[in-house]
Amino acid sequence: MNNFVPDPGSFRDPSGRIYVLGDKVYRTITDYAARDFEYVRGTGLIDRLVADGRLIGADIVPVDVLGEVGKDARYVVEHPRLPFVSYPYEWPFPALKAAALLHLDIHLAALDAGVTLSDATAYNVQFLGTRPVFIDLLSFQKYNKGDMWTGHRQFCEQFLNPLLLRSEVGVVHNHWYRGAQEGLSASDLRRILPWRSKLSRNVLLHVIAQSAFQKSSSTTTLSKSELASTQFPLASYHNMLTKLRNWIQMLQPADTGKTVWHDYEKHHSYEGHEFEAKKAFIGKFVSTVKPKILWDLGCNTGDFSKVALENGAAYTVGFDFDQGALELAFDRAETNDLTIQPLFLDGANPSPSQGWNECERKGLMERANAEALIALAFIHHIVIGKNVPLVDVTGWLTNLAPRGVIEFVPKQDPMVKKLLSLREDIFADYTEDNFARSLSQKVTIVQTETITDSGRKLFWFERLN
Amino acid sequence: MMNPFRCLLFMLVFLAGSGLDQHAYAYLDPGTGSMVLQLLLGGIAGALVVGKLYWHRFKSMFGRSASNPSTENHRDAQDSQNEK
Repeated sequence: MNNFVPDPGSFRDPSGRIYVLGDKVYRTITDYAARDFEYVRGTGLIDRLVADGRLIGADIVPVDVLGEVGKDARYVVEHPRLPFVSYPYEWPFPALKAAALLHLDIHLAALDAGVTLSDATAYNVQFLGTRPVFIDLLSFQKYNKGDMWTGHRQFCEQFLNPLLLRSEVGVVHNHWYRGAQEGLSASDLRRILPWRSKLSRNVLLHVIAQSAFQKSSSTTTLSKSELASTQFPLASYHNMLTKLRNWIQMLQPADTGKTVWHDYEKHHSYEGHEFEAKKAFIGKFVSTVKPKILWDLGCNTGDFSKVALENGAAYTVGFDFDQGALELAFDRAETNDLTIQPLFLDGANPSPSQGWNECERKGLMERANAEALIALAFIHHIVIGKNVPLVDVTGWLTNLAPRGVIEFVPKQDPMVKKLLSLREDIFADYTEDNFARSLSQKVTIVQTETITDSGRKLFWFERLN
Repeated sequence: MMNPFRCLLFMLVFLAGSGLDQHAYAYLDPGTGSMVLQLLLGGIAGALVVGKLYWHRFKSMFGRSASNPSTENHRDAQDSQNEK
């Protein structure tokens, strides 16, 4: 008999838990949540949201698929497994914004069906490429007349405030969010917002006033029962969500604009024919391997993820630490309907396993599910930019995926020269020979090709078994 | 332009003043700040409740007993302990 162990990140909600088994994901629904689930299902909302792709597929299956575990569940629901699970601290700005809008849209659709959402955590949104998908079936509950939006504070902390950090202050949300996984509180944001932002009606309402009222509740004779007994009219609820939606739709990063994006289009340190040679090599590798999931480390604006998709990769996850590049990658993938999922990653400091008991949110290595990777113009940033030994970087990359293509950028290349221009060259071992040697100790080198006049070389590797 | 709603908000934010930050850690605690906000957005009835809640604060700002009632209670408790 299978020994089912619940996903360690699904403990917070008493309504049910998640079990992952191979390609399938099962959700148990306990007695505690069964009545709401039955009511919500009866409204047809779930079927409609699944049909238009905004909610992950959810099929009721016999409880005994989970063996003994299923005996405690009233229902067991099967979800399709997502290609890659990511967290809001890995999302670029447009992804967090798309997730926020999806959340509000789903809530509005729910209210129209007599249903509401019990919470507003950003971890309930996942991505298929650039398309956000809501994954928590058990957030849906029956709406009762006069109900307040209980998830409003959480929505602000996990969606709105991190977006405002970028749109009003010009600071990316990723670092703060990774440190404080519950997001960014109104009282913290209030302290760093510029004055001009504080004059906006929306900021005043959702950040300043909320934080001030929260503060004052310790010294004011606020009676929670009195608050709770006051009805919040449905029209006001609807209005609040709609206005928030319209506002978020308008938010843009304060520190970048379309002009910066244009720089990326032109930004190549190598010639057109060299770019074509690189494309041809990647095309050959991907069409041979045909990976279901390919990781593109240092994806920049997604050029080579696109090449991979065109050559038979089913899905690509693109990682980069350049927010401007990620935003352009997201925008292009969304516009051209490409299944590229652009995510923020500092290769020298990947997402760790963290949260409760250090396993609520999984680290990058634990989520490594790529059948192939490409790491183009990537390793010099880690080796020379961050002083990580070359041998460690090849070890890390060859652990992430069983096969891939790594580009070695030599010291005579303009990009490496730039990295070394203001510092001492302490990287005597950063040579092509050393790279090839460290690689061949761990994997088989299938093919290599020098693609630029400066000596950039691609290495196709397969893990030894 | 400052519309009446924004004026009211400014006034309430000012009245709310400073105090200790209260963080609500429970999974589904909506947070008092958010609840007060929704009362205001909910129209007249809700706004009246909020008005009532903050009225005493307004009075205390202009009245003689400007000290914080919760601090007073704290002192009373300390005094009574000292007397023992």
